[in-house]
Amino acid sequence: MLIIGVDTGGTFTDFIWQNGDKCGEHKRLSTPHNPAEAVLAGLKHLAGEQPFQLVHGSTVATNALLEKKGARTALITNRGFEDVIEIARQNRPKLYDLQVKKNPPLVPKELRFGVPGRVDPEGTIIENLTAADLQPLLDDLKQQQIESIAVTLLFSFNNPQHERLIANSLQKLNLPISLSHQILAEFREYERTSTTLINAYVSPKMDRYLGQVAEQSGAETFRIMQSNGGSISAATARRESVRTILSGPAGGAVGAAAIGKQSGQEKLISFDMGGTSTDVALIDGQLPLTTESTIAGYPVKVPMIDIHTVGAGGGSIARLDSGGSLRVGPESAGADPGPICYGQGTELTVTDANLYLGRLIPNNFLGGGMQLQTETVRQQMEAFAARLDLDPIELAEGILAVANSAMEGAIKKISVERGFDPREFSLFSFGGAGGMHAVELAKLLQMPQVMIPTSPGILSACGMLMADVIKDYSQTVMLSEEQAKHALLDELFQPLMAQAKTDLQAEGVADKRIELQPVLDMRYCGQSFELLVDYRENFISGFHQQHQRAYGYASEGKPVEIVNLRLRAFSRPDHQTPQALPNVGEQLLAEVTLGQTQTVFDGSWHQAAILDRKKLLHGNRFSGPAIITEYSSTIVLPPDWQCSVDRHGHLLLTEKEGKK
Amino acid sequence: MKINPILLQVFRNRFVAIAEEMGVTLGRTAFSPNIKERRDYSCALFTNNGDMIAQAAHIPVHLGSMPLSVKAAIKAIEMHAGDMVMLNDPFAGGTHLPDITLVAPIYVEGMDKPAFYVANRAHHSDVGGMTPGSMPVATSIFQEGLMIPPTKIVGAGEIDRNLFQLLLRNVRTPQEREGDFTAQVMANLTGIERSKQLVEKYGLQQASDYAGYLNDYAEKILRQTITAIPDGNYDFEDCLDSDGFSDQPVQLKLQLKISGDTAQLDFRNSAPQVKGSVNAVYAITLSAVLYVFRCLIKEDVPTNAGIARPLQILTKPGTVVDAQFPASVAGGNVETSQRIVDLVLGALAQAIPEQIPAASQGTMNNTTIGGVDPRTGQPFSYYETLAGGCGASRQEDGASAVHSHMTNTLNTPIEALEYAFPFRVTQYSLRPDSGGKGRQKGGNGLIREIEMLTETEVTVLTERRTIKPYGLAGGSAGNTGSNLKIVKKSKKDLTGKNHSNLKTGERLRIETPGGGGWGKPED
Repeated sequence: MLIIGVDTGGTFTDFIWQNGDKCGEHKRLSTPHNPAEAVLAGLKHLAGEQPFQLVHGSTVATNALLEKKGARTALITNRGFEDVIEIARQNRPKLYDLQVKKNPPLVPKELRFGVPGRVDPEGTIIENLTAADLQPLLDDLKQQQIESIAVTLLFSFNNPQHERLIANSLQKLNLPISLSHQILAEFREYERTSTTLINAYVSPKMDRYLGQVAEQSGAETFRIMQSNGGSISAATARRESVRTILSGPAGGAVGAAAIGKQSGQEKLISFDMGGTSTDVALIDGQLPLTTESTIAGYPVKVPMIDIHTVGAGGGSIARLDSGGSLRVGPESAGADPGPICYGQGTELTVTDANLYLGRLIPNNFLGGGMQLQTETVRQQMEAFAARLDLDPIELAEGILAVANSAMEGAIKKISVERGFDPREFSLFSFGGAGGMHAVELAKLLQMPQVMIPTSPGILSACGMLMADVIKDYSQTVMLSEEQAKHALLDELFQPLMAQAKTDLQAEGVADKRIELQPVLDMRYCGQSFELLVDYRENFISGFHQQHQRAYGYASEGKPVEIVNLRLRAFSRPDHQTPQALPNVGEQLLAEVTLGQTQTVFDGSWHQAAILDRKKLLHGNRFSGPAIITEYSSTIVLPPDWQCSVDRHGHLLLTEKEGKK
Repeated sequence: MKINPILLQVFRNRFVAIAEEMGVTLGRTAFSPNIKERRDYSCALFTNNGDMIAQAAHIPVHLGSMPLSVKAAIKAIEMHAGDMVMLNDPFAGGTHLPDITLVAPIYVEGMDKPAFYVANRAHHSDVGGMTPGSMPVATSIFQEGLMIPPTKIVGAGEIDRNLFQLLLRNVRTPQEREGDFTAQVMANLTGIERSKQLVEKYGLQQASDYAGYLNDYAEKILRQTITAIPDGNYDFEDCLDSDGFSDQPVQLKLQLKISGDTAQLDFRNSAPQVKGSVNAVYAITLSAVLYVFRCLIKEDVPTNAGIARPLQILTKPGTVVDAQFPASVAGGNVETSQRIVDLVLGALAQAIPEQIPAASQGTMNNTTIGGVDPRTGQPFSYYETLAGGCGASRQEDGASAVHSHMTNTLNTPIEALEYAFPFRVTQYSLRPDSGGKGRQKGGNGLIREIEMLTETEVTVLTERRTIKPYGLAGGSAGNTGSNLKIVKKSKKDLTGKNHSNLKTGERLRIETPGGGGWGKPED
């Protein structure tokens, strides 16, 4: 059966397909006014009349949130707590700013409604709510041109009766309703409200979009990538779109982990450098998850792949600030006007510095489809250098050094600061600009190896094809150590497990393929942050060990509490592991070498070979300096590094043996 | 020697990263919620004479006081490799007793004196004294807790156990203190290790040179900022409601003189220090001034010693802005610091009206509730600060229900609160129409109402209960806040600084002040 993965990006929509042991890729320009156009056209192009299965990562939900163009949503809360969503956590985003700006709530005051009724922390109803109480609300809502409804009541995760009553009473409005105990059954009312509200806010748009693709593509099965690294059915995604909000970057991380595994690399730091920003994630055998995400300033607490973003990319602009320091980014020339070398830009960027230093080949960009403006860049670089009283080469290398130090900081944040040593990891580089910086970064962090996959430009789509079916569930329980006996925990996990099985069966997964992974959120009594601990026989000692590892100490005598139960239900698809390519030996084919160029490394010019990535074969091995070009990216191999091609065509870059 | 703009930026990234990583270590290894969740701590790196190079800033009130602590430590004790000095003495570089600073030298090979210092400061949730939490309504420093002058607590890598036991014996929660203190040691060790790596990579000479240049850099940018302010004398005065023992307002006065690229701030005509705890030591006045000038800078500069250089701050010892031993000072840190900011902004508003907002709520609304939890039989102590309205500016309305100026801590979620304490929150909402009117409206305060499910002792340490946060350019003042005890349906007004007992079923209702408005409404 033909399977197609599609990732919609800002500029391109990427397709990757697999049919038995054959596979291929396709790229076309995105159609931002209606993203479905590019998707449908690409699918038609690839599948024709054949039946196919579709896995899709969409930015429709993300963009609705980022551009604040979601549905007109009403929010229903307990009376007296309508403003929790606006108060947020009371802190301001910027410390040193006299004009404090708070993120405006997604639902204005006039669309926030309080209702009677109250549940206490044990789940006991201490104030009633009746259908009759809700009549005025129903009348109010009829007056408003709303498109969706979010409901968050205090402690509803311990007793959802009132939220259900509201859903029943409002059914006649025939609007999508998001209930907080269904979207995120966890304590901390602001974060739960935010997550539930975002779901109600983005789902109507996503629903229309996915409806169109489902109807017009003719796909036999249609699955959607989620931010947690797994896929769900389009039918679920249309109701719970908040789970898809960061699907693109998640696809990249899944692709990195899967490809790393194929090549026997389980410890990776993925490095996706684009035009305006760079995403990094640490993969230690498994994908890192977080429930602490914030998107556009709004907390989204469903589990997501933990990806750290820094505002440095190929388009980052270099400038001298008023104190005399060279700044690179976060301002970016983006795609329009773009770097100077693209022809329209006026400010020097990281890409221009790469071109000036001979790391980017002017007539090979986008397969030769775009001639880069070397001369303009030279003039601008020299003029800027003269203003700074620097040598232009020193300036260009300095622009790269400043950008690299920002990216180095990002990688340290996800490794060193979390107790991981980057020297034990490979740097897995993809994205358009990554290959020019990867080795420099690896050197800064003393990482032994850089891995560059085949088709680094469509890794995210590739990850979508490889993603497991995953559903995550959680439930706040707040149990003391004495209460938390296995019998009770098993009993409390029961409804989650039953729900998970029902849901996965509905997703078309056979019973025996369903895997369940129960986890506990635990902490010492009095702490405010929880650690995820596998639910096993000795989970209490497991917690102490994990605390020791994460925070450097454990307090064996201190009482522990179990805050949340978490359940991950998943099913691994049958991946076709691609066949190893034949080993042709170290010697490169003559046609690999496209020519020679002059490139700066450490302040001086070197002659470097220009190599064609497409022609490199399994077993090939060569030394720097070299510039390896492919359609949408360029890889820089410095003089003291070497490159080999592994059995799946991925490039492995390492320091030359004998050095040090 | 020529300053290289590339190295300047690279060093800046690295120094800031060291301070930030120290902060991550401290936040992750600390035990108490106050440090982990409310993030009440700061970390910084210093030159060998105690000038701050970079601070991972989370708490503005630590801005000026960290360097004073480090200088006090250097002056008092010669530190060798592996030593660390602790202190909290408000009259020797500290601010109030719960804030404990730990200073460590960095020795590099071949040097017989420190190349740099690192330090961190954390708010400990108890350091002894007359009430849990060590933030009492006190009349002398001796009632507020244990005073620690600069003291060598770590010698050659070993904690002095005898001394440490003495400290722990004097606090209510020794185990938690031990955990938090260990975290402070870990944070300094992180800073030492990273600084040594930096020196290894770039050499001591270059690293020290660029530490110095970074100070010059911040100084240069602040001088440019001050140059853009019109020269002149700008006076302003404002008051604290009271010291909690008399009804008399406590007056604060500032004469601000801008000339060229420097500013002189003369607070000498402010009121003498008072009986209650609203006395601020000089370090707090310095911090509040540095905070305001740091906000004026448009570039994103590292926060370091350079920004203090163009500023001259004059105070008279024995006044409420330069309190002397043995004044009580717990509230100076949290309340008077806010009023000093109001004073500096009020003066600057005359010079650059388009850049300066009206007064924000001007208080942290400190609330402490203690008692015995009937569910467990264990004593509990809850401390929280509440947000309020921000002042409006020429450009926009003031933000509502947000912490302003000298603090930026998070709230405790209602659901977390009800799990942890015998309370029921009955209302948590914006306080409508509490912001001052104007062409741009002041932000609204908030209302937090808590029903007691057992007998409790409640302490409130709050400001702007009688004197309103001012408006500017014809805008009205924001509303004052109020602290109410609700018994059945009747409301009883508590004073701004109050200690009361509440019974089961009674409610504490705090309404926080709004921000001032900007401009005449009809404009």
